[in-house]
Amino acid sequence: MLKRLRQKLLHRLQLPESWFIFFILGIIMMNFPFLHIFNKPDTIFGIPLMFLYLFIGWPFSIFVIYLFTLTFDHSDDKHQETRQQ
Amino acid sequence: MKSGLVPAALISIIYTLLIFLIAWYARHRKETGRSIVGNPYVYSLSIAVYCTTWTFYGSVGKAATTGIDFLMIYLGPSLTAFSWFFLLRRIIKISKENNITSIADFISLRYGKSPWLGALVTLIAILGIMPYIALQLKAVSTSFFLISGFNQTQSIHIPHSDTELSLPVGLLLAIILSLFSVIFGARTLVSSERHEGLIAAVAFESLVKLASMFAVGLLVTYGLFDGFTDIFTRFSAQYPDLFAQLFTLDSAGKNPDYIPTFTMFFMSMGAIMLLPRQFHVMVIENSDERHITKAMWIFPAYLFLINLFVMPIALGGILITGSAAGADFFVISVPLTTGNNTIAMLAFLGGLSAAAGMVMVESVAISTMLLNYIFMPIIVRLTPQAWFPHLLINLKRLGIFLVIFMGYFYYRVVGDSFMLVNMGMISFSAASQFLPAMLGGLYWNRGNKAGAITGILLGFLTWFYTLLLPSFSRSGWIGTELLTSGPFGIGLLKPTELLGMSGMDLWSHSLFWSMLFNISGYIVCSILFKQNEHELDQIRKFIGIFDLERRRSYRHTETKRLSKPVTITKFTNLMAKFIGEPDAHRAIFSYIGNREIDASGNVSEFELPDLKRFTEKTLAGSVGAAAAGAIVDSFLSDMGSRMESVYDIFSTVRTSLDQSREALFVRLKASEIINRTLDLQIIMDDLLNLLLKEFKLDVAIIQLSSENGTLTVRSYQGSNRRPISPKHWFVESRPYNDMVLLDRKAHIINDISQASGTVKLEQTVAEGIVSCAHIPILREGEAAIGILSVFSKSIPGLFTEEFIGLLASLAGQLAQAVTIVREIEAKDRERFQKDLAQLEHARVMRDMEIAQQIQISLLPDEAPELFGIEMGGRCISAAHVGGDYYDFFKHDDHSVDMMIADVSGHSVGAALIMAEVRTLLRALVNSSLNASTILHTLNNQLHDDLTRAELFITMFYAKYDSTTGRLSYANAGHNHPLIRRKDVASCMELDAEGLIIGVKRSVVFEERGIELFKGDVVLFYTDGLNEATNAQGEFFGTERICDHLGSVSHLPANEIIASFYKTVAEFTGSDTFQDDISIVVLKII
Repeated sequence: MLKRLRQKLLHRLQLPESWFIFFILGIIMMNFPFLHIFNKPDTIFGIPLMFLYLFIGWPFSIFVIYLFTLTFDHSDDKHQETRQQ
Repeated sequence: MKSGLVPAALISIIYTLLIFLIAWYARHRKETGRSIVGNPYVYSLSIAVYCTTWTFYGSVGKAATTGIDFLMIYLGPSLTAFSWFFLLRRIIKISKENNITSIADFISLRYGKSPWLGALVTLIAILGIMPYIALQLKAVSTSFFLISGFNQTQSIHIPHSDTELSLPVGLLLAIILSLFSVIFGARTLVSSERHEGLIAAVAFESLVKLASMFAVGLLVTYGLFDGFTDIFTRFSAQYPDLFAQLFTLDSAGKNPDYIPTFTMFFMSMGAIMLLPRQFHVMVIENSDERHITKAMWIFPAYLFLINLFVMPIALGGILITGSAAGADFFVISVPLTTGNNTIAMLAFLGGLSAAAGMVMVESVAISTMLLNYIFMPIIVRLTPQAWFPHLLINLKRLGIFLVIFMGYFYYRVVGDSFMLVNMGMISFSAASQFLPAMLGGLYWNRGNKAGAITGILLGFLTWFYTLLLPSFSRSGWIGTELLTSGPFGIGLLKPTELLGMSGMDLWSHSLFWSMLFNISGYIVCSILFKQNEHELDQIRKFIGIFDLERRRSYRHTETKRLSKPVTITKFTNLMAKFIGEPDAHRAIFSYIGNREIDASGNVSEFELPDLKRFTEKTLAGSVGAAAAGAIVDSFLSDMGSRMESVYDIFSTVRTSLDQSREALFVRLKASEIINRTLDLQIIMDDLLNLLLKEFKLDVAIIQLSSENGTLTVRSYQGSNRRPISPKHWFVESRPYNDMVLLDRKAHIINDISQASGTVKLEQTVAEGIVSCAHIPILREGEAAIGILSVFSKSIPGLFTEEFIGLLASLAGQLAQAVTIVREIEAKDRERFQKDLAQLEHARVMRDMEIAQQIQISLLPDEAPELFGIEMGGRCISAAHVGGDYYDFFKHDDHSVDMMIADVSGHSVGAALIMAEVRTLLRALVNSSLNASTILHTLNNQLHDDLTRAELFITMFYAKYDSTTGRLSYANAGHNHPLIRRKDVASCMELDAEGLIIGVKRSVVFEERGIELFKGDVVLFYTDGLNEATNAQGEFFGTERICDHLGSVSHLPANEIIASFYKTVAEFTGSDTFQDDISIVVLKII
């Protein structure tokens, strides 16, 4: 079940549209007015809001890229397999 | 506490040596074929050359003064990494295919190899990078002063006996970096090759950067403070206002030094791809496209890690030192003030690494551009000399020094008037000017040279005016009047408030105006002006590269040809002049590979443009695309040759298939013509007229070889038509025809005036022919059955590979038709002959039947009746006509003659002889001659005829007189008749001496006689009876005849005969007899 879900997710990520959507999403999230949400001098557990947002959001975006690259390797393998056949 | 000059200098030197060693080792490994650089991790680390001292020192400085917005410089590239899979891969693919050497090369190549555009990009790169290199020199020298414990000045003064020795650190650093770059970045001229030593050093430096940043970060966060939360809490308690300011983004623009997030974000997104050094490490130094995938997340992760401790270090620094002053060097000063000298030294090395990596890659990348687009255009105008390779490589080395020392110059002039980050932003802003032309070049096929030059030039001028000039001005080098009141006092033209646009920070203002002018200039000019042919060529390469897979299945069609063929050797010599002989030879060998080379050591005419392109590409790897194009073009014009467009035979736009609509139409028409009729003459005439009508041909001829192998003109269409004679101009092409038949390949002369002198074509030239082609008419894998020759009077270079392919395919179709028609003709002929033979046979058969009828009528219908005897006779011939003959001659009521004869053979001749015998006998029997005399006479009469016809006759002649009951007889070699006497169980043979008739003249025949009694049955027969054979090969034989005769002797004569036929048929098992069988029976009643 989990494996199937993963396969399905990876398959969706292969679409160029997915790339584009995440790219645009990234631009939106890194700019005003979206940044206004976190643009406050508040802290959570003593850590400033903006610092928290950027330093959690950033690794997350890197993880998304990592997922994308997984799909790429994935499809590449498949290509090679079919080529071998 | 300061660590002092000597240890700092010593460690710097040792570290530099270490870098040298690593670079040297990597190069050594590459040369032995075991690269340590060709993997995605080193690739990702080398991209981290993006993190310069700006990151290393400047980030902390910026974090301490304007706050967390410094992160935008890293979030931008991190986001750009999303697009690498499409964008970077595409750029790398194009660059590899075209031996791209730099970003200037890339942009110049896309816009029709424009040298002006390349020069412009180079100029921007040099000017744009100047502040950036200055930044590095500044950072390193400042950190060196810090670590060695001197006050910040431009040089270190060491007291020396009576004079003071001055040690200019910045200058020294510039010299060392220049040397390093020259050694590892400009060892060979080929710039498109990868510099493994350089990359290894850069990757190692990236590691050092990260490690030392981490060391300082850990020291500050966990050594001096108690983790992130502790720093944040203490800072917010001590400086609540500053805390709020640093952790929020200043969207209102209160701080004059503040750069809006979007500006930084946008510029950094562009810079990661467009800075010359980034383009260099990401594209030129990429060893495998697949490395991109890993780099896409490793590089952002690197950025994340190196920035993780920036904020704590900045806040900790302020807490420790008490102010944000000198925050640019917190990374060193915080460990130093807290007494952690080792960490401080490590941090210094990290900063040194950051600077060295950047300066080396940048200077190599820009010196390549400098060589290709500033020096080369001048060198190209000179005549190539043997020392050119040396000149070029040294110019490149000079370029490296030039780039670094321009940075040094800027450092000396502008120096300390800017913060580190802000100096870097000037470079970023310059690099952004390449963005429209770059992206447009990759995705917009209308984008053209005029647009790119206009856009980049306008953007550059705006950048120069609104950003670089103010930076000089601020340092007091130019004077501040310009900034405050504008040029000549015109307020609207103030560099920082162009057209009165005030209230904007310096960078956003500059970015806005430069991008506005750049993009609109690019778009407007691209729409206004048309692309020239060179550009269209390149657009196909750049935009169409992702159709590559699809395109590969179709054949590339050549649209250019060389007006005069140039040999491989000449191209090689040309290359050797620029890149040296060994490289040139290596390149050309790799090119020739498995290509077909003709007898004179050259490639085919169709491949020449390809060879020309290869030469260009190889040169481009060293001197840039534009210079390479110029070199090859001037070389060709010296040779008296040039590239000219192939006459586009298929005038309309090509369809997406590899065939134009015209080609398909002609093929369709041709197959219509061929299938319409079986008349070869009509097919050939129509086909030639189709060619003449559809293409610019003037004469078309089809020759077919006849069965004995001689070519004859079968169809001749077009002008200059006159009877084919040995004096016809066309006959001059005979040698070509012979070659075509021999090697079964098309032979073309695309320009008759350039044709080799071995074949004289004077008359042809006199007829006005300028180009011709001879194509074999053949079916796949078979010998040529003819030649299709076409001639044009107007267009040299008409026969492209594609056109010849079409003609060959038509010739193939024609060959098919010819073969089919010939086969049909041959079949018709065969059938006709068969019919004729059948007809003849039928006629002969009818004649034979008639002959048979006649022959049968020559035999007596029935035996004469005579008192006391009963006779019967019958002949069944094996063939239509036979040689058997029997007859009865009744003289009176009591005497009768009977004879039986066998002419050898069953031919008509035998039948005729038989007829002659009959006639002669009729004349003889009426006389009262005895049997032997009759035979004697007959022999004499027939001898000549028989000898001539090579025939013989055996004959038995008997006379019976019923009054006496005596049978007198004579025999001429015939089977002995049998007598079966009543009550006697055996047969008696009637024998008499006598030779076969026709052997000898005057033969004496013995006359014998025998008395017959009542009940005797005499059987006369021919050898067909006793020699009838059964399936076992046994003869019917005399014995069986005798036995059978005995068993049927009581029957009437005719029934005896019938029973014999029946018995023989049963014996042989067949209804037909092998030989004629004649039986005559005489029965005495």
